[in-house]
Amino acid sequence: MTLINASGMRPQQDSPMWPYHPELLARPVPRYTSYPTALEFSPSVGAEAQLEALQRLPRGTGISLYAHIPFCKIICWYCGCNTHRANKPARVENYLEVLQAEIDWLAGRVGGRVRLDRLSFGGGSPNSLEPAGFVRLVGQIISLFGNDRPEISVELDPRTFEGEWRTLLGKVGISRASFGVQTLEPDVQKRVGRIQPLEMIVEGTKALRDSGVRSLNFDLMYGLPGQTTDHLLHTIDQALELGPDRIALFGYAHVPQQIPRQRQIDAHDLPGMEERFRSAALGHARLVAAGYQAVGFDHFAKPDDPMAVAARNGTLRRNFQGFTDDQSEVLLGVGATAITCTPELILQNEKNLGQYRELVAEGLPPATLGVRRTTDDRERGLIIEELLCGRAADLSVMAENGLVELRLQPFLRHGLCTLADNRLQVTSAGLPYARAIASCFDRYRNHPSERFSNAI
Amino acid sequence: MQQSSARVQSPSAPERPATAARRCDTCAVRERAVCAALSPEVLDLYSREGRIQVVPRGKTLVWEGEEASLVANVIEGVLKLSTSTSDGREQIVGVVYPADFIGRPFGERSQHSVTALVDSKVCLFPRTMFDRLAREHPDLEHQLLARALDELDRARRWMLLLGRKSASERVASFLLEMSTRLAGPADDVPLDSFELPLDRQQIADVLGLTIETVSRQLSALRAAGVIELPGRRALLIRARGQLAQLAGD
Repeated sequence: MTLINASGMRPQQDSPMWPYHPELLARPVPRYTSYPTALEFSPSVGAEAQLEALQRLPRGTGISLYAHIPFCKIICWYCGCNTHRANKPARVENYLEVLQAEIDWLAGRVGGRVRLDRLSFGGGSPNSLEPAGFVRLVGQIISLFGNDRPEISVELDPRTFEGEWRTLLGKVGISRASFGVQTLEPDVQKRVGRIQPLEMIVEGTKALRDSGVRSLNFDLMYGLPGQTTDHLLHTIDQALELGPDRIALFGYAHVPQQIPRQRQIDAHDLPGMEERFRSAALGHARLVAAGYQAVGFDHFAKPDDPMAVAARNGTLRRNFQGFTDDQSEVLLGVGATAITCTPELILQNEKNLGQYRELVAEGLPPATLGVRRTTDDRERGLIIEELLCGRAADLSVMAENGLVELRLQPFLRHGLCTLADNRLQVTSAGLPYARAIASCFDRYRNHPSERFSNAI
Repeated sequence: MQQSSARVQSPSAPERPATAARRCDTCAVRERAVCAALSPEVLDLYSREGRIQVVPRGKTLVWEGEEASLVANVIEGVLKLSTSTSDGREQIVGVVYPADFIGRPFGERSQHSVTALVDSKVCLFPRTMFDRLAREHPDLEHQLLARALDELDRARRWMLLLGRKSASERVASFLLEMSTRLAGPADDVPLDSFELPLDRQQIADVLGLTIETVSRQLSALRAAGVIELPGRRALLIRARGQLAQLAGD
């Protein structure tokens, strides 16, 4: 067993000391932004289920609305999101028109019955839209869902954060933004097709602050081609200079057979598992040492940021956007590939832009994939969410399950989680194993046939 | 609502004066509408595609048989923008006045409707043309954005009014809004004295109140010396500051 901590040499009390157990990390595990995960979505749950889900929303339900903008000016090679090149303005404008038609459709079904608490724009890059088009979109949603001041957040691509966009957020009343920083190492940027000099981030950050953004997140990545741990730490140090309120530190997952654009990345340049682990551990330590609170297993926030407060209060949640302080039980997604989530159902809108357009034009429900959440799913989903959010999960709700205990054994033995009184909790040493521990409860990842290969 | 109103049919031969730009020269909102930002050449292009439509009081604007989404500038009158909710109720999403830009597409394929509260006139054009103009003319883009932001502010104020304000606050807010929006092109000073374009039933309708409540609120404002109601439609604001306070902004 190797111990990896902030100094890279000797364990210190205030820095995480993460034991390295490669055998427990070997099996790929989902990110569990939902349970069941997207791998369980099926075409048998779609349009009909969507109509039913919308119809069943009780009057007064607080909702979060997510709008997907599947365009970027330049597509990065690592990206697994549903996004397209915004090379023809007419294409983006047409999409916006379809999106607005879907919002009309949705409002026709739930308008007047639900309360819009939060509104998020993601993608792709919402700032691939024309500023006036974006403003009209916000105005439409506000008018149809009848809340003058929902909490609005938006994801931004620094490379196209220019012109009118620079001052737009304050004018629109948007207080939360997320900047895709990823890496500030020029050589690594070249290897992933995302060139964005430090000055671009510096200027963009200043513009966002000047326009009144209070909660600013930076997305950072490790495990990119040619990226060493030192590169990551250098990027973190440069990012910290700009004082973001939050940082999300994601590991790059190279799955070119599923995401063809990743074939542009030379797999020989990718850091190995141990280097990735080192990056995650030292990145974590660096951020904690700088005064950020670790939230979940890959987010960090200043202690007074609402997400850090939620983590301390035990109200942190996990949804399709990662860790969040959003308490809504109902997430409605609009746009191609957008996900709608209620306690009973998870649904995904049609991914293909042309087919999505056809469904909306005909006034049909745009969801074409989904899964119904059984009671068992919901119980397991709750345990998984509690574990990932750093809370003790109450296992007494689950029927006696020898298999789960068997799967947990190696993690318990190494002190990566503790089980007492039927309450399971991930320890600080177990943080990088949180997803692996959570996956012990994933019925769909643990077919009986896997039992033996696991045990060996 | 849309069903009960007679539709305004698209004219078989759209109005096309000999010199299109000249029509714009005499337009009542030429200096204030979004097209004020257009250079004479662009205005000429624009006016070839724009079509004037008269919308009599109570009629809903529906442009039939059009593939493209339409948007409009209000030339004269007052119109309400509405949509229908899941339970079939009409939801008013805004009221527009001369020089306002109706940037949400309406027509057959849209659930939105635009209904004239008084005899009105609008200038219709395809939304795509507008987007194209915006792209090709950066000055216009800035104007359009400013216009979209104004619209957003109006939408917010309207939602605040409908969602959180009391009956007295709604009536006071609406009177203030009209006094500002009905001010002529010459100056931006709100009017202290004007004719109410809407009758009490219409005011009740757009504010989500009953006609009795509207009448009571107006009487209370008069009794408090905040307004005077010298004629059936005439309104005189005597204490604007107090009215603003009562509006709860």
